[in-house]
Amino acid sequence: MEPEQPSPDTEHDLPAPTLYPIGFAIGVVVILVGLIISPLLISSIGAAIAIIFAILWARDATRELRGEQVVVEPERRDTTTPAADQQSLADAPVTRSVFLEGATLGLGAVIGGLIVVPVAGFAALPSFLGQTEHKVDLGPISNFSLNDWFIATFIVDVEQGEVSRRTAFVRNNGTVTDPATKQQVPSFTIISNRCTHLGCPTQANGPTGKKFTGVAPFKEHTLNGPAVFQSVIPAGYGCPCHGSQFDPEGNRIAGPAPRALDRYGFEVVNGRLVLLSTYSVSTVVGTGAQAQINKYKEAGPGEHIDGPEQWLYPLQPPHN
Amino acid sequence: MATTHRRKPTKAEIRRQKMEAAVLYPIDWLEERSGLIGGLRYFLFRNVPSDVNWMQTLGSAALTAFLVQAITGVILAMYYVPSATTDPHTGQPVAWESIVNISDHLTLGWLVRGMHRWGASVFIILMFLHMGRVFLFGAYKYPRELNWVIGVLILVMGMMEGFTGYLLPWDQTAYWATVVGINLNGTAPFLGPWLAQFLRGGQEISGYTLTRFYSLHMLVIPGAIIALITLHLYLVIRLGVTSPPWSKDAAGGEPEEEEEPSQLRPGLTRPVPRPSGASAMQTEPGGRE
Amino acid sequence: MAAIPKEKPSRVDQARAEFARYKADVKSRGKPFYPYAMFHDTIMSLVVVFTIIGLAVIWKWTSTGPVPHDPTHKGLLGPVVDPPADPGTTSFVPRPDWYFYFLFYLLRIFKWPESVFLGTVGVPTIALILLIMLPFLDRRRVRKPSQRPVAMVAAVLTIISMGVLTWKGATAQEALASEVKANIPRWKAQEHLPPAAYPGVQLFATAGCTACHTYDGAGGQNLGAPDLTNIGSKNLGVQFQINHLKCPSCVNPGSPMPSFASLGDERLKQLALFLEASKGTH
Repeated sequence: MEPEQPSPDTEHDLPAPTLYPIGFAIGVVVILVGLIISPLLISSIGAAIAIIFAILWARDATRELRGEQVVVEPERRDTTTPAADQQSLADAPVTRSVFLEGATLGLGAVIGGLIVVPVAGFAALPSFLGQTEHKVDLGPISNFSLNDWFIATFIVDVEQGEVSRRTAFVRNNGTVTDPATKQQVPSFTIISNRCTHLGCPTQANGPTGKKFTGVAPFKEHTLNGPAVFQSVIPAGYGCPCHGSQFDPEGNRIAGPAPRALDRYGFEVVNGRLVLLSTYSVSTVVGTGAQAQINKYKEAGPGEHIDGPEQWLYPLQPPHN
Repeated sequence: MATTHRRKPTKAEIRRQKMEAAVLYPIDWLEERSGLIGGLRYFLFRNVPSDVNWMQTLGSAALTAFLVQAITGVILAMYYVPSATTDPHTGQPVAWESIVNISDHLTLGWLVRGMHRWGASVFIILMFLHMGRVFLFGAYKYPRELNWVIGVLILVMGMMEGFTGYLLPWDQTAYWATVVGINLNGTAPFLGPWLAQFLRGGQEISGYTLTRFYSLHMLVIPGAIIALITLHLYLVIRLGVTSPPWSKDAAGGEPEEEEEPSQLRPGLTRPVPRPSGASAMQTEPGGRE
Repeated sequence: MAAIPKEKPSRVDQARAEFARYKADVKSRGKPFYPYAMFHDTIMSLVVVFTIIGLAVIWKWTSTGPVPHDPTHKGLLGPVVDPPADPGTTSFVPRPDWYFYFLFYLLRIFKWPESVFLGTVGVPTIALILLIMLPFLDRRRVRKPSQRPVAMVAAVLTIISMGVLTWKGATAQEALASEVKANIPRWKAQEHLPPAAYPGVQLFATAGCTACHTYDGAGGQNLGAPDLTNIGSKNLGVQFQINHLKCPSCVNPGSPMPSFASLGDERLKQLALFLEASKGTH
């Protein structure tokens, strides 16, 4: 053991540090916080803390002046030899530098994660969560003369406004017997005009307007906003993008579309036609009120819902 | 050579030396503290093969087109509003109206918007031409493979920039092209529907789609393109520009090949004998030749 | 003495040696970038900037015709402002920007539903992967075009096919009822249609027939539908036309044409009269 080296100014060594200044600082902070929250109560507490610690700090700092014995703890130098140092390094599996490397990388990863995960989550999750169903009021069903087709444009989400305007081909099929209740219920064919290939707006292949169809178009100020209904006699629907063709029930006849046109579910509430969410259809057998619709959960355009290709799209993101 | 006859410098020469020193002082100040001037000098005065031809200007032309896009884009962003909501006074979408405002009402708005719109096409054409030139010259081979890969990534980013920017005017062509484009992504197996919903910002195209595309178009993709271009240029400077492969005196040709001297450009057939101080020319300015 | 075959250096070593020679050549025989090469770059950049400005100016000047607010005026570079987005439209033909036309036309080529994802993501992804992997697929050192036949042929084929796809995408037509109706006066004149065919020609223009059939310079070609400009000269007869319109696949097995029976007998007769009267332009 080497003798301690006397430090150059032993007489002016400072005493060991104490925590009194920190207590004083805390007191000041509490005073300031109390000024905002509750001046009477909290600032008083803060003042008390500050004063107490100030007194203690002053007493401690002035020990020398008051002639009390100051206990100085001299700085101890590590007195092991270099050879002993390396020995201890080789023995200890986790040295200081290894620990620091790991801690830096680890903490960096944690910081990175703390920043990226919420941000990436915010970028991605709102697109998937909270998808709500929208019901669309289309007006009294008496507007829809029996067996006449209409091209209906309506607003789906009132809050979003025009950007949620959609079009459907609507026909009133009259009534049909509900197999469960054996009652006569209204039957409508409501086909979405978005092509199931890549989402282009299909057009009805047929004359439109009163001059050709004999049925007058009309507007309706529904609970969702203005809806427009144009009369049409469709021999089918065609898509202007890549040439898909569909029959009047929405079955695919030709072109790259993988399935029939999607349909809107509907209900009749207080004599008014209300559209529900869309669902996907593979094929429709029969027409009008007697149509057998093979329903599937809503799938995006271009996706197969039956046949072997459906396994290319095993998991659909949340729709409403 | 006889030594220069030393005589007293004239007043004009003294003035000139003082002016040179005054100009050089801030440059040297900057160089001592940053080293940037040295980098700039290296970039400007580095040697390139003496037979580079006009086709090799397409890369910098593409860079110019990108800079035009960046500058006009920044200015357009001061007036464009990325909102798909309807203006209650006019019944039209706010984003579309801001474009009409830029085109019809604001001074020189039509010019900046036109430059941005057509600059996009010019940028893409130049990138394709530049890619074709590099292919023709075989300049993707060792040691420039990495540069080629970076270049293809820049091309893809450029086309994505065009796709996201196309939606911003929020007119019929924009809306429907985007519907189809997003659904195209949606047909990819397994992850397609998720990717499409992420791009759309929801189940259907909405105002969130517009703002999302705006963020991609303004911040994400330009950031990626700038980073990639910087890497690309760094590699070009480091690895050098190739000679045209058909050049009779291409830099790096096989030493044993004996070619017929070209009749077209005699200066290229054999190295011009230079005075012995030639090796010092790489770091000095080219000087007068 | 016996010849000892010299071991050929590996390809990568040869490439390294060539690069070292290149560096030495440039150092000894090259010219400084500034001002020689940079001058060319500057001129080219000036051309680029002038082109962009010129296109912007032409766009503005040609977008409005001599008659203000004329909706039929088609400028050289298109209109400056398009109608605002209408998600509920049934009369718009979507198209991407011109540099995506080759992908767009690829989608029209892959028209079997099972093959859709090939056209949308399969082919473009494979092409992109090949493009990125090019330096690793072609590791030969030769750069002269005359010594790279595979590369040159592949390049020429790629350029030609992308050019053809882009052009076909640009000219792909879909017939909108509003645009087709504008042709009716011309058809009446060129085909010399009798008055009995007038109701039929209106129906023909609006019933979506031109989505698949071309007729006297208008309409689109889809699903192999024949041109109908002189269908009347085949003298198939009004009754045949009506039967065909009611059930095309009954008359023509395998036909993808939809049935137009829902138009009703009277309108079908009008259409048939028009078709039989279409004996070609003269």
